[in-house]
Amino acid sequence: MRRIAFVAALAMVLAACGVSGNAEGPSEAGLTVSGAASLTDAFGDIGAAFEGENPGVTLTFNFGPSDGLATQINEGAPVDVFASASPTWMDAVQDEGPGVSGRADFAKNRLAIIVPSDNPAGIEGIDDLAEDDIALVIAAEGVPAGDYAREIFANAGIADAAMANVVSNAEDVRTVVTAVASGDADAGIVYVTDVTSDVADPVRSIEIPDEINVIATYPIAVVSGSEEADLAQRFVDYVLGPGQEVLAEHGFLPA
Amino acid sequence: MIVRTPWSRIGELLTSETVTTALRLSLVVATAAAAISFVTGFPLAWMLVRGSFRGKTIIRAAVVLPLVMPPVVAGVGLMAAFGRRGIAGSWLYEWFGWQITFTTGAAVLAATFVSFPLAVLALEAGLRGLDERLEDAASTLGASRWYVLRRVTLPLMAPQIAAALVLSWARALGEFGATITFAGNLQGRTQTLPLAVFERLQTDPEGAFAVSMLLIAIAFAVIVGLRGRFLR
Repeated sequence: MRRIAFVAALAMVLAACGVSGNAEGPSEAGLTVSGAASLTDAFGDIGAAFEGENPGVTLTFNFGPSDGLATQINEGAPVDVFASASPTWMDAVQDEGPGVSGRADFAKNRLAIIVPSDNPAGIEGIDDLAEDDIALVIAAEGVPAGDYAREIFANAGIADAAMANVVSNAEDVRTVVTAVASGDADAGIVYVTDVTSDVADPVRSIEIPDEINVIATYPIAVVSGSEEADLAQRFVDYVLGPGQEVLAEHGFLPA
Repeated sequence: MIVRTPWSRIGELLTSETVTTALRLSLVVATAAAAISFVTGFPLAWMLVRGSFRGKTIIRAAVVLPLVMPPVVAGVGLMAAFGRRGIAGSWLYEWFGWQITFTTGAAVLAATFVSFPLAVLALEAGLRGLDERLEDAASTLGASRWYVLRRVTLPLMAPQIAAALVLSWARALGEFGATITFAGNLQGRTQTLPLAVFERLQTDPEGAFAVSMLLIAIAFAVIVGLRGRFLR
């Protein structure tokens, strides 16, 4: 009797598989979106909403440093949409790579100092980053967040002293957050939006005054040669439309 | 890769400050790692071959583990142990004010961690293949244990010792994952050649090809050197 029940159950499962396999579902399509590391959380949410509204569409995200993402695209990586944390690397894809279409700025961001929550080096402002014996981690040169951090040091007039305190040039901005959250770095420079709920406990952020701070502009575009160019443009439009609210929730400023 | 390497710029690229600094650091880190692996690996190999104690298989498995472990996991493990809030790291920091992460010492530790198993395995093979009667004969003739080790055991094992040093040195030279995770990336302090390749690749792929060629050339020289000596 049990065996019969098992066989019946198995048959039902197989039948169910067969039915779903044959069903006339919505057309299947996939998009690959390369996004700046700082967009990890916001784009995760936007992507889920976009997939929800477009059944059958699967988004694959590739988050990393904008310079590295641009290089991947220019070396022939099959990417449909590129969202950069700086116009520089969108220019690189536009001018030296496959080219782009439908380019638009979709968000702005500010930078902040982060310290471990117990703040072992007693940092309270940007000038403290110039003091001796502080283990400072910023993103590498070329990574937008790294270039912005260097710009901020120059604006504050502490370029030499602060750069002498840098103990590591992280590969992307999220790696800076990790180094501070683990307590191995005394301070780091990241985007305001990188202090997500995940790291709200181990990390404390300190504001950088507006006159010193840098405003980062994020452009997005469809990469030329995309096999799903129409769908890619729809995603870009979605980021510029309903996605704006999600970006605002994550702390981004409107473009 | 040979095609993509910008040969016209290669001289200028390979003599740039980033590359020469990274090359120097790589040689220092790899040599230190190989030396530490040998000095600590020899007693361990000795124990594993000559000793008889419980849990030997477990120790041997633990020794080989870093060899098959993803290097980034090794980096995470080292961070958990030696990070400022790590189990050992927090003591070092509180008692001596030492921070290991983001120092050259961390790069050496990461490189040693992954190259150590190769040294132990090569030395173990050497000790196993040794004719113990030669050592016994020397002892019978009145040689002290230290004298036997220095004048009989080590010379007999010369090929395996060289293999242990070269293999662990080569592995340490190529180390990337554990280093960038645990030691970070700073020119002159923890940015070894593989890290320099990685950073270059983000902005200047051609430059990365040139530095990669340098690493291949070093690896090739090691293989050629080994062939002449022990791989006959």
